[in-house]
Amino acid sequence: MLEIEGLTAGYGGIEVLRDINVRLGDGELVGLLGANNAGKTTMINSLSGTVKPMAGRILFQGEDITRLTPRQRVERGIVQVPEGRLVFPEMSIRENLLLGGINSRARPQRRQQMEKVLELFPRLGERLAQHAGSLSGGEQQMLAIGRGLMADAKVLMLDEPSLGLSPLFVQYIFEIIDKLHADGLTILLVEQNLNLTLRHAQRCYVLERGQVAVEGGADAVRNDPRTKSAYLGL
Amino acid sequence: MKQEFYDTLSSPILWGVLLLAALLPFALSSYYLHIVTLALVYVALASSWNIVGGMAGQVSLAHSLFIGIGAMLSSALLLKLGINMWLGLVISAVISGVLGAMIAWIDFRFQLGHLSFVLITLAFAEMGAIVVEGWEFLGGASGMLLPKDTGDFLAFQFGGGSGSFWVMLTLAAVCVLVNVAILNAPLGFYLRTIRDNEKAAQAIGVNVLRYKITAMVISAVLASVVGTAYVRYLTFADPYLLISPVITIEIVLFATVGGLGRAYGPALGALLLVPLGEVLRGKLGSALPGLHYFIYGVVVIAVILATPRGLLPLFERQWERWRRS
Amino acid sequence: MTELYQALAQGLLIGSTYGLLALGMGLVYGVSGVVNFSHGDFISLGMFMCLGLYSALSLDPYVSVIITVPVMTAIGALVYLFLIRPMVGHQFLMVVQLTLGLSLVLQNGILMVFGGQPARTPSIVESKLWILGDVVLRVPHVIAFVISFALAIGLYVMLRSTDFGRSIRAVHQNAHAAALMGIDVGRVQVLTFALGIGILALAAALLLPGTPIQPTQGLRYTVITLLVVVLGGMTNFVGIMLGGLIIGIAEAFGTIYLDGAIGLLMPYIIFVAIMLFRPQGLTWRSSK
Repeated sequence: MLEIEGLTAGYGGIEVLRDINVRLGDGELVGLLGANNAGKTTMINSLSGTVKPMAGRILFQGEDITRLTPRQRVERGIVQVPEGRLVFPEMSIRENLLLGGINSRARPQRRQQMEKVLELFPRLGERLAQHAGSLSGGEQQMLAIGRGLMADAKVLMLDEPSLGLSPLFVQYIFEIIDKLHADGLTILLVEQNLNLTLRHAQRCYVLERGQVAVEGGADAVRNDPRTKSAYLGL
Repeated sequence: MKQEFYDTLSSPILWGVLLLAALLPFALSSYYLHIVTLALVYVALASSWNIVGGMAGQVSLAHSLFIGIGAMLSSALLLKLGINMWLGLVISAVISGVLGAMIAWIDFRFQLGHLSFVLITLAFAEMGAIVVEGWEFLGGASGMLLPKDTGDFLAFQFGGGSGSFWVMLTLAAVCVLVNVAILNAPLGFYLRTIRDNEKAAQAIGVNVLRYKITAMVISAVLASVVGTAYVRYLTFADPYLLISPVITIEIVLFATVGGLGRAYGPALGALLLVPLGEVLRGKLGSALPGLHYFIYGVVVIAVILATPRGLLPLFERQWERWRRS
Repeated sequence: MTELYQALAQGLLIGSTYGLLALGMGLVYGVSGVVNFSHGDFISLGMFMCLGLYSALSLDPYVSVIITVPVMTAIGALVYLFLIRPMVGHQFLMVVQLTLGLSLVLQNGILMVFGGQPARTPSIVESKLWILGDVVLRVPHVIAFVISFALAIGLYVMLRSTDFGRSIRAVHQNAHAAALMGIDVGRVQVLTFALGIGILALAAALLLPGTPIQPTQGLRYTVITLLVVVLGGMTNFVGIMLGGLIIGIAEAFGTIYLDGAIGLLMPYIIFVAIMLFRPQGLTWRSSK
């Protein structure tokens, strides 16, 4: 579904990621792990196209999308739910969701899509007119995921969905992620929380200082000594 | 004060250039001498603005006030109250300095930030223009005509022509050297930290208020003194020229074209643009009024887009290449 | 008392157009953080284009907008694309200098074409009056009021309930998140700037009848617009329209009740006071 070959990327001429090779199969739930500053967010932003790659290529369903704009990628179904949620605070829940479905492929059926999203998150449906800025962190995370789903995503990339949430909400959000996965959505889960991710993901990549240090199934990653060193920075 | 400043002061290049420049009146016709004199006025003004606008990164549009006070107030004091213009110059400079300190204080007290600072100084400048145009004492909208310049030094008269040229050359040199001095003094360092990140500067214990006031007062006093000399040279205290925000805009653009925050940048910008504008105005001014301003505008847009740090770095590179070969 | 009503009415009418001028600037500031110091010169450009069309084809300013609005919108798009966009993201403070340079170019370009003499552009409604009891209203002011408010309401509805409007608000609230929605942020910025300049073309025609114009007026219009925008809290739609009315009324009161300089100073004094003591503008909520 999504293949990243030899990707090198960064800001202002400084390489944050070096020669990354990552693959997401159709319908897979893949985890991307790593400590702070390992390059996880840079990676997800290069997939969204808001960071320009310096080398390498990105293939989506066989098409080379390395040079496409963020908009063209969203239109193809590569959708990011950003770290810190980034909901539009001064807009209602309904407007946030409508904006999620603003791309040209999703727009025609976004009313139906909204019904599906509200079925998934009934709590959002109860307060459609409320400003997103007045929601709790957990509710904002629901809205951010719902907004991503509105884009009719084929690959949903979640950046730190557990960040700053109460354990109860974390559990709830991960149940939703499992449910979406079970429905056949391809998901890239970017997380700092190692054990949580290993419990849910089929395969994982561990980033260390901009490079893939470990990859494989949950058990293999858990038992690999390099995982620990990637996290502890040893 | 760093060694560089004393090196500059004792540099044979500096004194050579100044000496050659001082000889210009013997080589130029009165028309070209006038143009060079004007260029020096703007070298001085742009350099004085640079202390606040370039080094501290605060795009002040209030400098027309200081220039205007220096020009209109000293003229009014002479014409209405018979006060010697030397004394007028001092009174105007003191008032400008106090006003500058007030503006810097307001900026600090209300934590204005860069954009709000631009807006509020523009509002002050407009208010100043309205006050002068509406106040008969300061000449009102019609301005004031100064007595003929007979060259009586004690009456702040320099005889026009070469005498006025030397005065402007001295003022321009002083303003540029003040720039060099500040850049090589702790003040210059603090102003740069304030420009790059005021909050961080404050956090590491830089006395932001003190340096902002110091910079603004130096800048305002210089602009005011140049304003007095300029109006004496023009003989006509024209409110639409001397206290119009447009004069600040011109200065800002000269400084930007030359290179903001550098000692010689604003001087370079004024030396390039003023003669260009004046020659164009002389040749085509009657057929195409405003052509010189139009060209200034085009040049500044082109320079900002092509080399946002101004033309000075380009000249320096050329100079390095030339010196090495 | 009559004088009071007269000032109030006149201020409200002109103030609505000031509000419209400021909405354009507020929108642009909201989506790209740019404060355009050549704003007033674009108003001049709109007015002088009407004058030119009158001299060449004897078009009434109200008719000329059919030409001036699309032309100015296109100019706005080009200016943003080629001059302002290259600065966005780096050297941001230089946008101030750049638009000041643009102001000189526009002002003196107009001066070279039209000369510096104050000029008037006649309109059929120019000298028509509308008398309501003791209050005498000039018909051009009434037209300006009606159209300005209609347009402001139209803009408001556009921002609230169209995808383009929501895109504008999304870019304002969080440009990165907007890009992740698939909104082309650069395109929204260009279109908003073009829209802002296009609105000016219309506002220029509304202000024109009965007003003598000259090329050097631009800066004063820029300052009036800034006043209104700051008063309204930079990006608050309702606040800006309200700010326009307040400045319009302040100006009318100033010129009627206070003589000369003090009257002209009134709006600036209000402006400085607001900047210092209520930088978030007059509205109590810093709404985006």
